[in-house]
Amino acid sequence: MLLWILAIIILIILLAIPVYYYNKIIRLENRIENSWAQIDVQLKRRADLIPNLMETVKGYMKHEREVLENVTKARAALLNAKTPHENMEANNMLTGALKTLFAVAENYPNLKANENFLQLQDQLTHTEDKIAYARQHYNDSVLVFNNTIETFPGVFFAKMMGKKEKEMLQIPEEAKEVPKVSF
Amino acid sequence: MERKLLVEDHIRRNKRNTLIICMLMLLLLFAVIFSIGLVLGFPPVFSTAIGLPLSLLYIALTYSFSVQSVLAAAKARPANPNKREEKLLIYKVEEMAIAAGLPMPKVYVQESSDINAFATGKKPEDAVICVTTGALQKLNTEELEGVIAHEMSHIQNRDILLATVTVGVVGAIALISEIVLRSLFWGGGGRERRGNGNVILFIVAIIFIVLAPIFARLTYLAISRRREYLADANGAYLTRNPEGLARALEKIKADIPDDPKGSKMVAPLYIENPFKRSLRDSIWSTHPPIDERIRRLRSM
Repeated sequence: MLLWILAIIILIILLAIPVYYYNKIIRLENRIENSWAQIDVQLKRRADLIPNLMETVKGYMKHEREVLENVTKARAALLNAKTPHENMEANNMLTGALKTLFAVAENYPNLKANENFLQLQDQLTHTEDKIAYARQHYNDSVLVFNNTIETFPGVFFAKMMGKKEKEMLQIPEEAKEVPKVSF
Repeated sequence: MERKLLVEDHIRRNKRNTLIICMLMLLLLFAVIFSIGLVLGFPPVFSTAIGLPLSLLYIALTYSFSVQSVLAAAKARPANPNKREEKLLIYKVEEMAIAAGLPMPKVYVQESSDINAFATGKKPEDAVICVTTGALQKLNTEELEGVIAHEMSHIQNRDILLATVTVGVVGAIALISEIVLRSLFWGGGGRERRGNGNVILFIVAIIFIVLAPIFARLTYLAISRRREYLADANGAYLTRNPEGLARALEKIKADIPDDPKGSKMVAPLYIENPFKRSLRDSIWSTHPPIDERIRRLRSM
């Protein structure tokens, strides 16, 4: 009798471990997907804000064609990006172009007093920060996932499920650079 | 991984402690009603039949309204997105929620020249972050971010459940006992007219006098040094910038405290005790020393 109970307990444990790891790996994978969706939403939002900004800025910055063109180009690249890597690259381009634009805007007091411009500047900075934090959360999620599927006994179940380690999003070096302003 | 296990363990402990606080209060209330019944000569069955549902009702009501009562006690109002300062606060909270992978909490503002903030709510989905207007004026973006990240960690660790429910469940009875004691103190004139009613009041008053320190002690169970250090560390992990919170704490330390606003019962919820002046060096100083918190943040 006692032996039977023991056997049943061991059986339950043996069944529970794969279920636990299966659920855990799927849950962590979903979290990564969800973090990417979060980044994607913010990237779209950022791209949507650009036309408004261009409309507001156009009247003031007539002689800054290059600066404005760079922003438009970066936005187009962002809208056409397919893979996470392309998305991030275009996003970094846009960050650089906007930085230059806002730096140049310092020379236009009328523009800086424009309520609409200030609103857009706040919102764009906000989306940029949100993208940075969403990327950080994505990388955190990837780290937890990779740790789980690379350590024992997770590695055993991950192999059976055919799960491979995911790649982190690189934090750009150029984003930290001071923008070059050309007149 | 270790960090994650630590947090999961912490969440479990917070949920368990919340349950313990509720059970303790239930027991305490029931004991009080039961003994009043005994003193007045009611049969025990009758006292139980009245006392048990009454205490259960009390716990259920205060539990479900705890978030509202905390916000009311702090005299907090929702942040106004039309003011730039408060709009930027809402933005920062949203950014920190993304960093923590949590749903966006509601953002409230408390009118006070002190630099302070607290988080409340029973679960991350209904969480509230409240910041004083003083903090909005005196902290720069980086420092404010550090403070919000600290509060976001309290939400993530479910510290808010324990603190909010404790303040709600224990706070209401503490308030009632305060009112009863005051009315007894001022209502001496009616002594001769209603002899019998006064005996009941007298017994209730004695019970409350005995219980008041227990209530106070219970609320301070809701906060602990470990919880604050953990929230500091997790907050720094979210912003990847321990210096922001460290500098905010330095500003709080150097700031001249305003007259404390709102109820003392809400004090354990804040990032730093708003009654620091009156409670300095007392047994109630449950917030960890601010210098030690800054030192730990700087050594990360």
